[in-house]
Amino acid sequence: MSTYQEFIQQNEDRDGVRFSWNLWPSSRLEATRLVVPVSCLFTPLKERPDLPPVQYEPVLCSRANCKAVLNPLCQVDFRAKIWACNFCFQRNPFPPSYAGISEANQPAELMPQFSTIEYIVQRGTPAPLIFLYVVDTCLEEEDLQALKESLQMSLSLLPPNALVGLITFGRMVQVHELSCEGIAKSYVFRGTKDLSAKQIQVQTLDASAFCRFLQPVHRVDMNLTDLLGELQRDPWPVPQGKRPLRSTGVALSVAVGLLEGTFPNTGARVMLFIGGPPTQGPGMVVGDELKTPIRSWHDIQKDNARHLKKATKYYEALANRSAVNGHSIDIYACALDQTGLLEMKCLSNLTGGHIVMGDSFNTSLFKQTFQRVFSKDYNGDFRMAFGGVLEVKTSRELKVCGAIGPCVSLNAKGSSVSENEMGVGGTSQWKVCSLNPSTTLGLYFEVVNQHNAPVPQGGRGAVQFVTQYQHSNTQRRIRVTTIARNWADAQSQIQHIESSFDQEAAAVLMARLGVFRAESEEGPDVLRWLDRQLIRLCQKFGQFNKDDPTSFKLSESLSLYPQFMFHMRRSPFLQVFNNSPDESSYYRHHFVRQDLTQSLIMIQPILYSYSFYGPPEPVLLDSSSILPDRILLMDTFFQLVIFHGETIAQWRKAGYQEMAEYENFKQLLQAPLDDAQEILQTRFPMPRYVDTEHGGSQARFLLSKVNPSQTHNNLYAWGQETGAPILTDDVSLQVFMDHLKKLAVSSSA
Amino acid sequence: EKDKYIAPSAERGWNDPPQFSYNLQNARGQQKGHLTRRAAPPTSSGNTSTTTVNLKTPPTIPLSSNPLAPPPCSLAPPPRLQAGPPTTTTPPVQPGSQEEEGGGDQTQCEPDVEVVLSSLNRALATCRQSVKDQVCNDVEKRLLLLDDSWRAGKLSLPVRRRMEALSLELRAGHWDSANEIHRSLMVDHVTEVSQWMVGVKRLIAETRNLNPELLEQLQDTSVTDQDSDLLQG
Repeated sequence: MSTYQEFIQQNEDRDGVRFSWNLWPSSRLEATRLVVPVSCLFTPLKERPDLPPVQYEPVLCSRANCKAVLNPLCQVDFRAKIWACNFCFQRNPFPPSYAGISEANQPAELMPQFSTIEYIVQRGTPAPLIFLYVVDTCLEEEDLQALKESLQMSLSLLPPNALVGLITFGRMVQVHELSCEGIAKSYVFRGTKDLSAKQIQVQTLDASAFCRFLQPVHRVDMNLTDLLGELQRDPWPVPQGKRPLRSTGVALSVAVGLLEGTFPNTGARVMLFIGGPPTQGPGMVVGDELKTPIRSWHDIQKDNARHLKKATKYYEALANRSAVNGHSIDIYACALDQTGLLEMKCLSNLTGGHIVMGDSFNTSLFKQTFQRVFSKDYNGDFRMAFGGVLEVKTSRELKVCGAIGPCVSLNAKGSSVSENEMGVGGTSQWKVCSLNPSTTLGLYFEVVNQHNAPVPQGGRGAVQFVTQYQHSNTQRRIRVTTIARNWADAQSQIQHIESSFDQEAAAVLMARLGVFRAESEEGPDVLRWLDRQLIRLCQKFGQFNKDDPTSFKLSESLSLYPQFMFHMRRSPFLQVFNNSPDESSYYRHHFVRQDLTQSLIMIQPILYSYSFYGPPEPVLLDSSSILPDRILLMDTFFQLVIFHGETIAQWRKAGYQEMAEYENFKQLLQAPLDDAQEILQTRFPMPRYVDTEHGGSQARFLLSKVNPSQTHNNLYAWGQETGAPILTDDVSLQVFMDHLKKLAVSSSA
Repeated sequence: EKDKYIAPSAERGWNDPPQFSYNLQNARGQQKGHLTRRAAPPTSSGNTSTTTVNLKTPPTIPLSSNPLAPPPCSLAPPPRLQAGPPTTTTPPVQPGSQEEEGGGDQTQCEPDVEVVLSSLNRALATCRQSVKDQVCNDVEKRLLLLDDSWRAGKLSLPVRRRMEALSLELRAGHWDSANEIHRSLMVDHVTEVSQWMVGVKRLIAETRNLNPELLEQLQDTSVTDQDSDLLQG
């Protein structure tokens, strides 16, 4: 229904919120019958150039276990200067500074258009941003040179007052003392033994000495540039048939310990650059014998991954320590083989740090992605924020079940915390150590009203999101978003509830639940669960005659949902055997933190077709869209694929684009490149760019994504002449839908 | 700044995306995000080809064989250019408005290394009056490197052009612009400039912090010594 579409879009634009249901069922029982939980995707720091922050402290409810922030849903008595908290109904006097308010003169936080508002607060002296580079020196010469240059370049992008530090490692770990004096000094640690935080502090002298490792950029940039320029490959020779000895575990331990000892609770980024897996010391992922390959999914399934559990546990402990201190860890992994992202992913997932995966540091993919870490917004400030703490408050009919995203629990118990956990649960507060304007969390709720209890007075449930963080300009800020949705009695208003369904948000929220499960459950079980939820949803909302699959219909608000689930099942987030464990970890890392639009692209890639017959148009992600005289542009988020149909490829090879009278062919070839440009220029991480054609080996990127409506199995059965057949035994969307309908209408289900 | 797009390096990684210049990346503006639509799914179940896509419409121009075109077996050529509305909505953008390697714009003359270096050195000399010796010596060392590299022909034309622009901005006291240029050089041409650019960066930082009298002194001498032509850039 167009009104709900508009409502949904307006709310996303203003508040960065997309709810699965925009009318809420008024009882617990009815909510569970809806299959998809009441849940939302929330982007705490959504870019709002039109929202100027206010320069005062937020007004809080005085009840100790409430402390909700004054918002447009509160009832206000302007004469008595009292406001009623909409969450706990406590009546609160306004602070003295609000003496002048009136109906005609309201503070911003009471106005409906400020359902999202940002406060700048003074909290002690502003702390500088900290960047600690941890650099693997076991790289090929060319790679190391490229990495060094990127690091030198980044010094020009850092704010002059930021603190910077450098740790290099190979077989040993070196912490470099940065000073403006001539002589370069460093402290060396053996890469084989783990060190406690205490040991690091003792060995590197007292706290004042510590500071010499983290210095302001403006003071040490020249020396650090030289230091970086002079970095050599790890000097320990690597014998034939062996891997270099890489002590990533100890290097990270030193980094985390260094920051813990000097700047706890300040925004800091540890930036780890690696060219291969950890091969010695705590956190080693594979031994140094090349003939022992690094674990594959097959190995893991057969319980044949020797170091997996121990290494994962090691890095999880480091990640948790880092998160407690509010420090984030980025991993920039560039190598042709795996580097151990499976074991190390928690370092970034728990702290909000980035994972960037590439083939080599000497590629534009790495160089530009790395540049974009330092991209600036419309005010000239970095797009990164630190030390985020998100608190969620709910009206009493709702409880919080958990969050899925780059966060850790703060174990904040209370009356709004549900006992049913979904994602990171058991809390109403989470820490997001590093975040940016696109960081999006999935939040899951439970309706706790009893069945047949009357619909609550006022008819609306409310949720308040309070995000405290350190802005990149070092100001401390609090962003408050307060939203409300109407309760509806599912018995009498099921159609209205159905039309309030946001199928895009629901698909992403369910997909995140699936990916979360996949971390601890077997793959087939997750697929079965996802299928089960889809069937139940279709049984609930499908319009059909019992046992008659051909009668099955879904209303418009749900019509795309099965397709999303179809593509999700085939996606690299749930189908791991086509990828390495590192690749799967990388894909999942990005999936559980992106906003809705990007997440949907990951689930169901976008496909545009370019031809002489009209303007570029979106086409079905289906093999029938692959035609000889079309160019296809596919965006999977991780790859941009430009595929030239057979005839187009032949024309290109024949060189028609060089001839003046075929200028329009030249334009046709250029059109997808131009459209791809906006994506290439802005997306983080930068996607791989595949230019391929019919018969090209890289065409598999496209062929593996499209719905195989024509395969070698059914090509002649369908009698189709158009479209390219796909060599696969994957079930097609049509077969999937047929099965789904059969199951949904079956009276025995 | 005419550079929009840097040519891909010879040694690109597998499926490496094209490299964009610093200025192009920063000129983001409002994102149109127009590649986000999806085609409607088939309305009737089981029928795969009833989609919204025009699968079988023939080209609007009859394919005629072109006797002048190379004859690749039985390949008919693409539709020819006709006078009429363009068939694609996005206007073509020449992708490789590449680096101007001398042959391009003849109206601008080759930057003069003497002029550029003398601006920088003059700023340095002024800084010596209040900034630590060691820092100034460090900057001087790097300016010498810049000088050597330039004279040895190791710097490409875009780098020389931008250094000229940077020195002009520095002379005029436009610190932020000078800084932007330094950043763009570090991002787009790090290999050529990394050895000495941090010295230029520091020079800008120290010069802008000079006390007003010294700054005035610097700017007075700049104006009297130079041709007004060059000041107009």
